[in-house]
Amino acid sequence: MLIDVNAYLGHWPFRKLRHNTASALLRLMDKKGIDQAWVSSASAVLYKNPQAANEDLGAETRKHRDRLVPFAVLNPTYADWEYDLDQCATEFDCKGIRLYPDYHNYKLTDSSCHELVAAATERKLLVSIPLRATDARQRHWLISIEDMRAADIVPLIRRFPDARFVLLNGLGYTGCDLGKPGVDLPANYWIEISRLSAVLQAEMRMLLDNVGKSRLVFGTGMPFKYPDPSLVKLEVLEATKSEIEAIRWKNAHALLPA
Amino acid sequence: MVIDCHAHLAHHTSADWEEADRRLIEAADKLGIDQLCCSTLTPRRPAEPAGFREANDFTYQAMQRYPDRVLGYCYVNPGWRDPALDEIRRCVEELGFIGIKLYNEYRADEPVAYPVAELAIELRVPILYHAGHSHYFDTVQPRISDGGMIARLADCYPEAALICGHVGGGGDWEWTLKALRRAPSVSLDTSGSVVDDGMIELAAATLGADRLLFGCDMSMTAGVGKLRGAELSAADKRKILGTNMQKILTRRGSSC
Repeated sequence: MLIDVNAYLGHWPFRKLRHNTASALLRLMDKKGIDQAWVSSASAVLYKNPQAANEDLGAETRKHRDRLVPFAVLNPTYADWEYDLDQCATEFDCKGIRLYPDYHNYKLTDSSCHELVAAATERKLLVSIPLRATDARQRHWLISIEDMRAADIVPLIRRFPDARFVLLNGLGYTGCDLGKPGVDLPANYWIEISRLSAVLQAEMRMLLDNVGKSRLVFGTGMPFKYPDPSLVKLEVLEATKSEIEAIRWKNAHALLPA
Repeated sequence: MVIDCHAHLAHHTSADWEEADRRLIEAADKLGIDQLCCSTLTPRRPAEPAGFREANDFTYQAMQRYPDRVLGYCYVNPGWRDPALDEIRRCVEELGFIGIKLYNEYRADEPVAYPVAELAIELRVPILYHAGHSHYFDTVQPRISDGGMIARLADCYPEAALICGHVGGGGDWEWTLKALRRAPSVSLDTSGSVVDDGMIELAAATLGADRLLFGCDMSMTAGVGKLRGAELSAADKRKILGTNMQKILTRRGSSC
């Protein structure tokens, strides 16, 4: 069993993506042995009104909910996001939301963000936060968005102990409270591995030692990224079979039981 | 034979340099990488002659510690023309280094690079150029080279074996591929942390698989994973993983 918590459908305005329809992504997943992917719309990140893209995502995943689990991209500064959240949860069967504060011009410390996190948590939805959409060095000349720092998420983690956060496309956790041992933080966050090192700096091993095997989850970033580098990480990581199984699927499965 | 054409050793001012180098070899073992073409950069740049000579000595020591695993690039700052050229001769002719590493002190199309290119041709060794192209001014690396600049150096010195570093190093890799299309003597290394889907296939379609060299630049699983994920023939992957670099090394007769 293998669950990818970091996948996407739709278009990205700055680069042509392959495997970005449900059928194409499923073919890629079959080829790579990935059973389930948690997907959000790439298009939604740059749409002013992300709900239009969430609707596309809902339609695209409708027949494949066993394998493609939809996540809604919502902007808490946009009009009537409350309606959109309800529609995503009830009509599109979204199991979580994804936040892009820098793309949507708000901060994680803003009250609007807190309202969205609280509303999602009340509905038992996961809250995933990509620390980047793409590498900032290859950004388009029209935008200037830097990576979010892992440390910037800590106040949100503390403020919402009942929320369940899934942190995507990040690294450097061991340099802040999220990845240090013995820090008094709620056990309400999970860390996806696509940018973590399995060798050399070996941040994956350090996180296993510091915060335990229950906190890492497999992810690839497909179809922005090749899924294979994350698969290679599982092959070379110095870890027990039990730790590998936890990362491959057990932790994600516990977050979203079938 | 799998050759990582772009790797680095730890400078000995780093407290754990020995451990860091050992971890690199261990990672190569796990990932099936037979040889690593390594340079040691100075901690402070622009490098001065005493600094790059010392760094190259560290590389040579690693070549001794890990024979047949670590191959050495001679790192110099071309702004120090005579000391740089002397150092390249020392490293290649006396110490058995396989190539030259140029970083971001000067752009590849600045005249200061020409004597290095001429010596590389004479010695029949490649130059690996640190490179990247972003659509904003890089204040940290104001004189970083890009594919277009390396292509212009290749126009001046078509006999030189130039390697444009890390297409996955973070800049606009589609721009880099287009900039290098008409520079047939320039190879492109696949290293870097960026693992954008389709990058390797587009590189092979644009430049030809014969011009691609496998590399990691210390992003080890990224380097291996993107090659594994690329939808290319097994024959093309073999070329990229080792055969193409072997051909470059054979120009001088370097062992591999």
